[in-house]
Amino acid sequence: MHPRQSAHLALLILCAGVLLLMPPLVWIFNKPVSVFGIPLAALYVFGVWLALVVGAFALTRILPHDD
Amino acid sequence: MLSTNFVLVTALLYVVLLFVLAFFSDRQARRGRDRLLRSPLVYTLSISVYCTSWTFYGAVGSAARNGLEFATIYLGPTLVFVGWWFLLRKLVRIGHEHRITSIADLISSRFGKSTTLAVLVTCIAVMGTTPYIALQLKAVTTSFQVVSNVTHTALLGYPIESGDTTIGFWVAAAMAVFTIAFGTRNLDANEHNPGVVAAIAFEALVKLFALLAVGAFVVFGMAGGLGAVFSQPAVAQMLEPERAFGDRWIALTLLSAIAIICLPRQFQVTVVENSDEKHLRTAAWAFPLYLLLTSLFILPIAVSGLSLLPTGSNPDMFVLTLPMLAGKEALALFVFIGGFSSATSMVIVASIALSIMVSNHIVVPMALRLPFFSLDASGDIKQLLLVSRRISIACILLLGYLYFSVSARSDALAAIGLIAFAGVAQFSPALVGGLFWRNATATGAIVGLGAGFALWAYTLFLPSLFNGGAMAGFVEHGPYGLSLLRPRALFGLEGLDPLVHALFWSLGLNAVLFVVVSNWTSQKPIEKLQSALFVDVFRNVAGTESRVLQRRAAVKDLYVLAQRILGPAETHRLFEELTGGLVDLESLPAPDARFIAHIERRLAGNIGAATARALVSQIATGETISLDEIIKLVDETQQVVEYSHQLEEKSRQLQSIAEALRLANDRLQQLDALKDEFLSQVSHEVRTPMTSIRSFAEILLDADDLGPEQTRRFIGIIHEESLRLTRLLDEILEMSRLEKGELEFDSTALDPEIMVDRAVDICQGMARKEGVTLSRGTRVDAVVINGDADRLQQVMINLLTNAIKYNTSDSPRVEVDSRLTGNHYEVDVRDNGPGLTDRERAFDKFTRGRDQSDRGHAGTGLGLAISRQIVLRMGGELTLVDDDGPGACFRIRLPAGAV
Repeated sequence: MHPRQSAHLALLILCAGVLLLMPPLVWIFNKPVSVFGIPLAALYVFGVWLALVVGAFALTRILPHDD
Repeated sequence: MLSTNFVLVTALLYVVLLFVLAFFSDRQARRGRDRLLRSPLVYTLSISVYCTSWTFYGAVGSAARNGLEFATIYLGPTLVFVGWWFLLRKLVRIGHEHRITSIADLISSRFGKSTTLAVLVTCIAVMGTTPYIALQLKAVTTSFQVVSNVTHTALLGYPIESGDTTIGFWVAAAMAVFTIAFGTRNLDANEHNPGVVAAIAFEALVKLFALLAVGAFVVFGMAGGLGAVFSQPAVAQMLEPERAFGDRWIALTLLSAIAIICLPRQFQVTVVENSDEKHLRTAAWAFPLYLLLTSLFILPIAVSGLSLLPTGSNPDMFVLTLPMLAGKEALALFVFIGGFSSATSMVIVASIALSIMVSNHIVVPMALRLPFFSLDASGDIKQLLLVSRRISIACILLLGYLYFSVSARSDALAAIGLIAFAGVAQFSPALVGGLFWRNATATGAIVGLGAGFALWAYTLFLPSLFNGGAMAGFVEHGPYGLSLLRPRALFGLEGLDPLVHALFWSLGLNAVLFVVVSNWTSQKPIEKLQSALFVDVFRNVAGTESRVLQRRAAVKDLYVLAQRILGPAETHRLFEELTGGLVDLESLPAPDARFIAHIERRLAGNIGAATARALVSQIATGETISLDEIIKLVDETQQVVEYSHQLEEKSRQLQSIAEALRLANDRLQQLDALKDEFLSQVSHEVRTPMTSIRSFAEILLDADDLGPEQTRRFIGIIHEESLRLTRLLDEILEMSRLEKGELEFDSTALDPEIMVDRAVDICQGMARKEGVTLSRGTRVDAVVINGDADRLQQVMINLLTNAIKYNTSDSPRVEVDSRLTGNHYEVDVRDNGPGLTDRERAFDKFTRGRDQSDRGHAGTGLGLAISRQIVLRMGGELTLVDDDGPGACFRIRLPAGAV
């Protein structure tokens, strides 16, 4: 992948993380509902969190090295 | 129940273990065996000093009170690390390039090595951190009293004697000894303290495992699974949808994102202690993962605590009281040690970070101004630094302890975590702005930082101190009853959460003033230079400044200065490195600007940029900063950026052009091959009739005994063959003109049915001769197409004659159907003959699709190719219809216009 493209991808993942974790998008999942016995809001927040960790891991493989 | 002495001995043993670990790590490192200590994993673990006892115990408390809100404290840092490429990478690079020693040093360096800024940042950092250290001492004290409580009130999680500060004192003292012993060995910013790092990393593991252990025990041992935990009635009250994800959610995420960069201890571990930029790559995902694991069980523990422990229990101690409730003393002890780890690691790193700032930016500059200090002895400043760092550490911890003992009885400490975050958050506009905005000025940074700090103190820090005390009226009604100045509703801004309110005013005004004042004021030359070096750190390597900053100094003076700060051995090594083997000092040429800049940077790694510059300026003369050179430097970097952009653009264009050329070349080669094939086919086709003409002509020439009848027959054959040859050449000519588009075409509106009928009529004679039934099937009443009437007729005749000639069926039939489909006119010519042998190549030149064993009927093999070209030119298509029936069916399809 082109260095500039991978930097854009990094920015995209970061923005997606911010958007998904901030109101108003997060309100969609803020309902008194349980999934697999776990409150939906908690499951959602932790799910996005895990996705960010995975995304960051994938990014470190793509982003160019300086040297 | 655990006895007080048992817990005390355990804690003591743990501290001894830390000392031993640090001691051996230090020794290993000095023997050059510190590969593990310099690994990305240890780097990541040391960053987790972010998780203090405030999060170890407090996260569950926060979850019990405010539900999911606790997660914001970890989500902010997660986002910052996921976006490491944009901010952290630059910070770490600047840290390495300019040998940054602390956050105060970074901000001061960026704004022209300003001493004022360094002092301001140091003071704010000390003010924000001291209460935080006090909080750690309080947490250790409380948890100690809870875990060793043998009375029936133990499970409530409140200390028995809230005024007892003995434990806090001894913890502070032990940490002071530890930090002084292992944290002040190296003065250089780019040298690390392996003993400290090893202890911090070890403690990071202990606290993580303690939290995971208690979480797993509570969920699977006490409650019986996650589902059981979340079916408790307490959940509904905790996770009320109305309360979550409001303004506090946004503010806290922002605050924690800022804190992970601006907290002095975080800056210390992330930037200053970073030994390799590549480690950031691992930390980018591993640190968020650490935070995720830390938070995994917080919610279940909070829920279980609320439902299992007696009403009124202290939620901040659930982590500890839950295993105590279940009688698991070993686990409770482990948790206590985990909390102890998180508290001590914070205390150690924070006091190191603060002591560096205090000694570099306050003590040394002040001492150097004292008249009796100008000793000029070798290593004197080094000694001063060491002593001042040690005393600073002791003082900071003493201050923390005093703060703790004064406020031990009140609740003022509980909220201090976020208040401290908000205090150091004031660094963020100057820090982030300075990294990316070229025109930010020192004055802007000082004004913004000062205003933000003042507002923070007024709206957040003071109210937290006076809460419920004699000064409660001040918080309630404002100073002198001025309601507009109420600290929690400044200028009448009501309805916001106090933290959000304070953050809005302090950070908002800070950022606005920073930008506005920066635009009003102009940069001093040294600021301009530093701004160019910092903002473009990836392009301007350190050392570029020597082009801009010209000054002279005597080698001897430089040597003496370096000796004062680095000591003799280190100075010797540095000069050897710089001069390529140290020669006699007297005989060295006068050092150039580059040489002086290098020395200054090396000294800055020990005493901070501002002091290093002040000291070097004392011995250097004729300092000039060329503004033209700075402008050129900035221009050059911009040009380089632009140039590389253009290059990229160009190379992309070239790539696409190359691709187009390659395609064109492929096409040309294909065409060339086709032409060769065509030529060889033509030669072959021409050769056949020529051969027969030649051979008959030879017979006629040689044989004298031919009768007139036979002669006539031979001449007939020659004539026929030459006709065929002419026809072939005509068709080749026509074909080539068609392909080149040279043939003229009429384009008039015409009724194609007339042409089809006429062609059928013309071919009737031939059909009858061959015994073929030629019939007209369906037809169209009124249709108009645009095209050439004669050409269309030619195509129809060609199709019909082919169908008639090669029909070997017993009752040969050819049928012509025409119809309108959509806005297309279609004619099918269908026969019941043997069909085509090679359907795929039916339209290729010189392909005879039908069986032509009967030589009399041999065609040129160009008819169909020509027909197809003609129909194509009229905007239609000629196809071979795919159907199962016997024989072949050709279809002409032409666009039809309105009648």
